[in-house]
Amino acid sequence: MAKQILSCTVNGEAVEVLVQPYVTLLDALREDMGLTGPKEGCGTGDCGACTVHVDGKVVASCLMLAMQVRGRKVRTIEGLAAADTTLHPLQDAFVRLGVPQCGFCIPGVLMSAAALLEENPRPSEEEIRYGIAGNLCRCTGYTKMVTAISEAAGTLASQGSAR
Amino acid sequence: MSTMKTTRDVKGVGVSIPRPDGPEKVTGRVQYVADIQPKGLLHAKLLRSPHAHAKIVSIDVSAAKALPGVRAVLTAKDIPHLKKKAPTRAHAVLAIDRAVFMGQPVAAVAADELSIAEEALDLIKVEYQVLAASIDPLKAMLPGAPPVADAGTEADTSEALAHSAVAIAKSDAPAKAVNISQQARLQRGDPAKGFAESDHVLEKTYRVPMVHQGYLEAHAVLAEWDRNGLLTLWASTQGSFNTRSEVADVLGIPENRIRVIPVECGGGFGGKIRALCEPITAVLAQVTKRPVRYVMTRREELQAGMPAPQVIIKLKTGVKRDGTLMAIDAETVIDSGAFSGAVLAVSAVFLGSMYKWPSFDIRGFEVLTHKPSVAAYRAPVAPQTIFAIESHMEQIARDLDLDSVEFRMRHLIQEGDPMVNGQPWQSNGAKQVLARIAEHPHWKSRKQWMAAAGKNGKRRGVGLALGGWLGGLQPTGATVRLNPDGTLAVLTGQVDIAGTNISLAQIAASAYGIDADLVRITTGDTDVAPMTGLSAGSKTIYTVGAAVLQAAEDARRQTFEIAAAELEASIHDLELTDGKITVRGMPDKGITLATIGKKGNLYMSKTPPVLGKANPAFTQQAPGFAAQLARLEVDVDTGEVTLQDFVICQDVGKAINPLGVEGQMQGGAVQSLGIALTEGLMFDDSGRLTNPSLLDYRKLTAADLPNLETIIVEVPSPAGPFGARGVGEPPIIPAPAAIANAIQNATGARLTELPMSPERIALALVNGKH
Repeated sequence: MAKQILSCTVNGEAVEVLVQPYVTLLDALREDMGLTGPKEGCGTGDCGACTVHVDGKVVASCLMLAMQVRGRKVRTIEGLAAADTTLHPLQDAFVRLGVPQCGFCIPGVLMSAAALLEENPRPSEEEIRYGIAGNLCRCTGYTKMVTAISEAAGTLASQGSAR
Repeated sequence: MSTMKTTRDVKGVGVSIPRPDGPEKVTGRVQYVADIQPKGLLHAKLLRSPHAHAKIVSIDVSAAKALPGVRAVLTAKDIPHLKKKAPTRAHAVLAIDRAVFMGQPVAAVAADELSIAEEALDLIKVEYQVLAASIDPLKAMLPGAPPVADAGTEADTSEALAHSAVAIAKSDAPAKAVNISQQARLQRGDPAKGFAESDHVLEKTYRVPMVHQGYLEAHAVLAEWDRNGLLTLWASTQGSFNTRSEVADVLGIPENRIRVIPVECGGGFGGKIRALCEPITAVLAQVTKRPVRYVMTRREELQAGMPAPQVIIKLKTGVKRDGTLMAIDAETVIDSGAFSGAVLAVSAVFLGSMYKWPSFDIRGFEVLTHKPSVAAYRAPVAPQTIFAIESHMEQIARDLDLDSVEFRMRHLIQEGDPMVNGQPWQSNGAKQVLARIAEHPHWKSRKQWMAAAGKNGKRRGVGLALGGWLGGLQPTGATVRLNPDGTLAVLTGQVDIAGTNISLAQIAASAYGIDADLVRITTGDTDVAPMTGLSAGSKTIYTVGAAVLQAAEDARRQTFEIAAAELEASIHDLELTDGKITVRGMPDKGITLATIGKKGNLYMSKTPPVLGKANPAFTQQAPGFAAQLARLEVDVDTGEVTLQDFVICQDVGKAINPLGVEGQMQGGAVQSLGIALTEGLMFDDSGRLTNPSLLDYRKLTAADLPNLETIIVEVPSPAGPFGARGVGEPPIIPAPAAIANAIQNATGARLTELPMSPERIALALVNGKH
C-alpha cells in the first residue's frame, strides 16, 4: 500500500511524516516519529499505556488510525514537561512520592491525569480514581498515584492563583 | 521528605528517598526493549498451535518464504540442538512433532516489517491431527488420561529451589499416573487417631484458577550476533545471568559467547525469570545475520505466557471443642500446564506448618495438562495455600464460637517450632503482625461498623488473614569503588524493577559512611557485573543487599588503611565525617575521601585504588509475614463486592527505604485482591482460553479500590542487612482469605473458589439461603 502524508501538530510542533494508511496513531508515534513514551500494553484499548491527547482529549492511541489525526493537535508524554524540561507538577509529584516502579504504565497514567486536571482542577479522590480507571498499573496498587495526582492538583491551583 | 541521618550518621538506611530514575520514568524517556530501534532491525512473529494437543503431520512454509520482505521462516527441523524431550518450556523452542498446548509456537518468521511477518504467518500451512487432550488436572491425574510429556521427560524443580529454598523429601510412591510429574508426601504423628479424637472435623476443597502475572510490558527481546559469533540479547528479564544460562543450554553454546543486557523491565512478578522467547529470537537473528526483535502481544501473553498454576487443595482438619488442634490432612494438586516446573513445597509448608498441628498427612501433586506451562507469580502457590488454610481457620473459629484472632494466636508458630519438613522456623514476626492488625480500629469496631450498614440491600463484613513467605536465597556479588572525587560506585547485576537500587545505595551509604546522594549504583550486564541472582523470591535486599553491605565495609576498610598510612595513625583512631577521615580528637589532622580516591588513579601513584568486593552465599532464611484486613459491602442481590477499606500490616525486619516498602505492600496487595475478586484464565473443555484479552480477563483498576493503608512492623532478622527481611512476596498472600472471611462475615456464605465473582457470591447466597 502507498504511504500517505500525515500533517499534524505533535507536542506543539508541526509534523509531516509518511505513514501507511493502516498504521495506528501509536505505531506512527513510536515507529515513524521516534516518540516511544506511549507504550503498547495490550493493543486493544484495555490497559491505557498508550494514552495520548488529541485536541486535548484522552485517546487510546492504539485504537486510532494515524491518519485520523490529520490537522489535529497531538500531545504525548514527551510534551508534558515544559519546553525548558521543568517537570509538570504531576511528574514532579509522581517522582517525589515514589509512584513509578516498573514505570511502563506511567506515561499513560500521567496523560490521563493531566487531561483530568485540565477538565476538573480540584477532583475528589473518587474523581481521580475514575479519571485513571482506564489505566492499568500492576506495581503500585494506585494509592500513591491517587495521592500524587491530588497533590499536583493543589500545586497547579496555587500556581494558577499566584499568576 | 525526611532527611534524618541514620546509621554512621549519614543519609542512608531507614530514610524515604525517591528512586533516582523517577524523572526518566515520568518523562517517557526510559527505554524498554520495544523502544530500542537498531539499524537493520527485523521483526519476529510466531505461528502458534490452534489446538491444545495435536500431532503435526506436515508444515509447508514455501509461500511464506516467497513473500517479499520475509528474511527467515523456521520450523523445528531448522534448529539443531533442539532436545526432543524438552525438560523446560524454554527448551521447547518450536514444537517438533506434537503441539502440547494451544498457543505453542510451531513456526517462526523474521521480516522487514511487523505487518509482513504477520502476513507470512497466514501463508504457512500446517496439517494437524487433533489428539485427545488433558485439560482438567483432576482428570489428567487418572490412569489412561491423554499423556502430555514424552515418556522419560525429567521433572523441573529449579523454580522451587530458586524461590522457596526449602527442601522436602520427594515421594517414592511407585505407581504414578502418566501426567503426575512430581509428588511429595509429608507425615507426622497419627492423623487417624487425631481425627478420631476430634470434636470438630471440617473438610473443604479450595480452588484457585490459573492467573496471569499481568506485567504491563509483554515479554520482549532483541537479539543480535556479531561477526565473531557473539550473541547479545537485550532482554526484559528478572535475572540476566539466569537468562544467559538458559539460552546457552537451549542453543548449545558456551555462556561466554552470550551477553545479556538487562533492559528496563516493565514488570515481571515471577513471569520473567525463565527464558521464553529468547532462544527462538536468537536463532532468527543468527540465521538472518540481522538484529531481530520479538515482542509478544497481550493475547499471546494470556494464551501462551507462563501464568501461575491452577491449584486445588482438599483440606480436612480435626480439632477439640476448645479449639485444640488435633490433625490435618491435605492434598494439593498443582496444574503445571504442559511442562513441569511448579513449586510444590510451599503449599505443604504453609498448610502444615503455620499452625502447630500435632499430626498431619500432607500430599502434593504436580500434574501436567495440555495448557500453557506455568511459572512463578509473586510468592508462588502461597496465596492459593493461604486462601485454603486461613479460610479454614476462620471457619473453625466461627463453628466453635471462638475469637478467630485468639484461636490463631494460640496455635501460631514461632521461632524454633518445626516445619513440616522438620527444619526449624527462623525468627519471624507472624505474631507481631497478627497482634498489630487485631488492634486496628477497623477490627475492634467491626460490630458497630457492620450494624451501621444502610438499608440499601448491602451487608457489611470485616475479615482478616495472615500469610507468610520463607524468603529466597541465592549467591550473589557486588563491588564498591571509591571514585577520584570521593563518591562511590556500586556495581551489581541486579535487575531493578521495584526500586531496589536506591535501597542498595542506601545500604552502601550507611555501611561506608557517606550520604546516599554520593552513591551511584549501576546494574551491569552479564559481561560486566559480578554474578548476581534473580530479582525474585523477596531476596534482593536480603542477599544482594548483604553483598553490597559487605563490599561497602570492605571498601571502607581499604579506605581507612590508606588513610592510616597517610596520616601515620592507627586505623582504630580514625573516623569518617562529611567525606573526611580524621584522627579522633585531632580535627585538623585528616585526609578527604576525594584525596584518597585521586591517589588511586594517579600516574606513578603507590596508593591502590579502593575496590571493595563481596560474593556471599547464604543459608539462613528470614521469613516475612503479613496480615491484611478488609472491610467490605456485599450487595446481596447482585453479589457485587465493594471494598471500603484495606489494611496491610507487614513485618519487613527493617525498612531500608520506607517509600519503596510501602509501594511493594500496596502493589502486592492489589495483585492479591485481583486474584481474590476478578482474575482467572478460563479454559474450555478443548483447552481454548475463553478470555484472551484484558477486557475479559479483568485486572483491578483504581476505581475498584480504596486507598490502602500500610503498617510497617520491624522485627529484625538475624542475618539480613540492618535486620531487613524480604518485602515483595508477603503482601500478595493473605488477601483472598481476608476477603473470603469478610464476605462470610457479611453474608454467612463461605466462598471456596476464586475469583469470588458477583456470580459466584450470588449463587452461594441463593444455594446457601443466607
